[in-house]
Amino acid sequence: MNMEETLIKIKNEALSLILETSEQAQLEEIKLQFLGRNGKLTLAFKDLTKLPIEKRPEVGKLANEIKIILEEAIDDRKKLLKEHASQKERANLDVTNPGIKPLLGHLHLITQAISEITSIFEKIGITRVRYPEIEWDYYAFTALNFPENHPARDDWETFFTTEETNSKFGQIILTPHTSSGQVREMEKAVKLSQKTGDPISIRMLNIAKCYRRQSDVSHTQMFHQFEGLVVGENISIVHLKGVLDYFVKSYFGEKRQSRIRPYHFQFTEPSFEVDVTCGVCLGKGCKLCKAGWLEMGGAGMVHPNVLKYGGIDPKKYTGFAFGWGVERVLMMKEGIEIDDLRLLYSNKLEFLEQF
Amino acid sequence: MDIKILDSHLREHLQTTAKPKEIAKALSLSSASIERVEPFGKNDFVYSIEVTTNRPDMVSVRGLAREAAAILPRFGFSAKLITLPVVKTKKASPSTFPISIKNDKTLVRRVLGIVLEVEKKESPQFIKDRLEAAGIRSLNNLIDITNYVMLEIGHPCHVFDFDRLTTKKLIIRPSKKGEKVVTLDNKEHILMGGDIVADNGKGEIVDLLGVMGTANSVVTDNTKKILFFFDNNDPWKIRKTSMGLAIRTDAAALNEKGVDPELALVALERGIKLYKELADAKLASDVLDIYEDKVKPTPITVDIEKISKVIGVTIPTKEAVDILTSLSFTVVKQEKTLKVTPPSWRVQDVSMEEDVIEEVARIYGYHNIPTELPPFTKAAFYHQTENPFYWEEKVKNAFKFWGFTEVYTYSMVSASILDMPLEQAVALKNPLDEEHVYMRKNLANSFETVLNENRGADNVQIFELANVYQKQAKELPKETQKLAFLLKGKINGEKANYFHAKGFLEQLATECNIKHIKFEEYLEGGVGAYVLIGHEQLGEILVKHNYVIAEINFEIWLQHANNKKVYKPLAKYPPVIEDLAIIADAKAKTAEIIRVIKEQNPIIADVSLLDQFEETRTFHIVYQHADKNLTTEEVSKIREQIITALSTKFGARLKE
Repeated sequence: MNMEETLIKIKNEALSLILETSEQAQLEEIKLQFLGRNGKLTLAFKDLTKLPIEKRPEVGKLANEIKIILEEAIDDRKKLLKEHASQKERANLDVTNPGIKPLLGHLHLITQAISEITSIFEKIGITRVRYPEIEWDYYAFTALNFPENHPARDDWETFFTTEETNSKFGQIILTPHTSSGQVREMEKAVKLSQKTGDPISIRMLNIAKCYRRQSDVSHTQMFHQFEGLVVGENISIVHLKGVLDYFVKSYFGEKRQSRIRPYHFQFTEPSFEVDVTCGVCLGKGCKLCKAGWLEMGGAGMVHPNVLKYGGIDPKKYTGFAFGWGVERVLMMKEGIEIDDLRLLYSNKLEFLEQF
Repeated sequence: MDIKILDSHLREHLQTTAKPKEIAKALSLSSASIERVEPFGKNDFVYSIEVTTNRPDMVSVRGLAREAAAILPRFGFSAKLITLPVVKTKKASPSTFPISIKNDKTLVRRVLGIVLEVEKKESPQFIKDRLEAAGIRSLNNLIDITNYVMLEIGHPCHVFDFDRLTTKKLIIRPSKKGEKVVTLDNKEHILMGGDIVADNGKGEIVDLLGVMGTANSVVTDNTKKILFFFDNNDPWKIRKTSMGLAIRTDAAALNEKGVDPELALVALERGIKLYKELADAKLASDVLDIYEDKVKPTPITVDIEKISKVIGVTIPTKEAVDILTSLSFTVVKQEKTLKVTPPSWRVQDVSMEEDVIEEVARIYGYHNIPTELPPFTKAAFYHQTENPFYWEEKVKNAFKFWGFTEVYTYSMVSASILDMPLEQAVALKNPLDEEHVYMRKNLANSFETVLNENRGADNVQIFELANVYQKQAKELPKETQKLAFLLKGKINGEKANYFHAKGFLEQLATECNIKHIKFEEYLEGGVGAYVLIGHEQLGEILVKHNYVIAEINFEIWLQHANNKKVYKPLAKYPPVIEDLAIIADAKAKTAEIIRVIKEQNPIIADVSLLDQFEETRTFHIVYQHADKNLTTEEVSKIREQIITALSTKFGARLKE
């Protein structure tokens, strides 16, 4: 057999092996067998030196061509095998089988609401603080301009403790509203202003647990409020409406409108009731709302007596405040119309795990 | 308080072009909230109105008509208050009045009475309709007129059967504790003392003033003569009686808000006209009027500039004056101020500058005021590491993503949940129920209520972040934020145990960059461990029969939490890693063994327990030098030191 014949034989042998194999590993072996350091074709190349010089270019060219053909054949076969393998894997993979999930728990609805509310007010520079849940009557009522005989101070509305009464601050009670933080915040701001010499500026958001003596489908003994307090040199109703509108559109969506109506609270003057258009009818009026509107809560311009209790001169400063129920705004969101608020604090997992 | 009035009734007092819906909208935006307008009968409407407690002057047809007359023109409707038809009366001298009435002015501000001869019969349909729409049952003309007058004018009143007042004496006095009355609904009440009552001079109570009449003096089928009676009472005493005895009449609800005493005479004269028309009344006396402490409206000085400053919109002075005048205020304009005097029915709720500004603002229209965010002039500095809210959110999210469900349990607990001597806890004086009486001292006990709520659940992973309360002498109770979590059932297929709870705390410490979290043997009975940071104890892990619970002081935790990151250059040389199997007594604690191993040489970068089987514990040790490759000889030298140290300290040996 001359050299050319040997080369062609190698080629044919290799090609048939390549085409027959159906395994990746076998293909690697074939490659080694022919193209490896001691491979048949490699050895044949070495034999080229034994040929007469004039024959070498021609046979050399043939050998190179065969090498390229084999390399290409191996590559093609490799691709094909890969393709087959993944086809097989694809066929075996039922993508509709369940995933292997990491654990995922649930934050309480109230936590979720507080977190959203906090973020909204933070964007406009109103930041969160915290004050006592068990509070002096002084901060909860007296300093908020509640007269001695006001019904809110009745035994049947507010929880009183059996703790000792203080001659200046009165009884110890469970705070019935986040407004108790107003005068505490003012006292803090006055101190700061005295230290820095800057004018008084308050941008408070007080979110806390509150307690009232009531329990039915729409009331729980423990609930949550968020209280805004903004005090400065030229704060007006215009600003209250601005903040209110920002909150309503951020929290409920831009389709919802807000309005304020006359109302009455001891610690604000003027006082407002804040309404938001119904999420179902968007203000047209339906069975779920009052002529298109839902009541969200109270607001008003801080009463001058309250500013005075906080050590702030009502001639120089004005401010506004609002106190709304976290549960209330939550219920006013679409899809969360819970029929019995007490569910929130019953801690049935079946309920909590929905959110 | 809520009242319902008919459109036809309102229009007897108000002449306007506005339709019912338009009246409702205008009043809601600028005055009392009209919650609903519904058709009534064939061609009438009923308004459901919520009036705020400071405006008892609006709890009547006349009061609303007065407001509407001021407001409707601002919405483009003509509106005018119609003059009230009344019977003018003469004052009687107390000596000639057929009944001797002795008032106590600390209880009752004004007493008005007249004696009328009447004929008792059924009321005409329009009276019945108007009362029925207001939620008042029609009884007979004599009673109905008192209710109708209250509905129309806004001052409650009462009617006695004159002949049943046999002593012809009424002494107004505070009740004594334990006195009994039978009210006109034939219910017996035992008084608490301090209630306003009328005594007939023989110690018998013949009226529970301002709240409800009594059975012994009320009109009957045989009544021929009545005492038509007005009493303007101390609101606080009325509320106490009404709430204390649970007698919630419309009269009490109105009286406890404080009614304008000037209205009493208007209402009386209106009532007499109705008795004449509907009960063929003849006057059997003049009017007795005991009224010492008259309403004296005092002028309020209002800074003109402040009106615009508070509203945030420039209000022309003329407009402010017009608004106030339309509400029956008297206004005198001075250089920079307005001298404003409220009408008698507004004296109670308008007493200072801001009250007057409110009147201007609401009639100007809150809906006409633009919106603008407050100027951003200054802000408190924000330091993330010191902000508790940042950490709370981070920690809550960590638990959420570890599969926990957050619970909110009540701050108040029952005696059995409190589970400690009751005097140690802050207690409520007036709890609503037995389940919520004491302010809790830990969260862990509250989790029992959660487990009870979820008896069917095999796997429970819950957590809560909330306050507990500690009594303090002469101060507010101390509120401390605690973090608690509970594990029950299986976690990743394994029964929840101590090490799961510990693991969560350890990872939480890692997330909050807290070093030196330690766990020490629990010494109080039961299985568990104390949790410490350094030497400071902050809580414990307790292993119960079928769950594990942990509770820590979150405030101490936050004192150590930080986000400080320190860069360590990446290792240039590979570490040598080996596992040493040590046989040691169970008394030798793993943490101690690790500490001793680490002490042997600074190039020991990390030591951890790989596994434990009977007495053998396998430790995973990482040797790493910052500046060179470690040789086998170097490592084996340190290993020898380790083994010697463990043998000396713990009598431990290397497993062959």
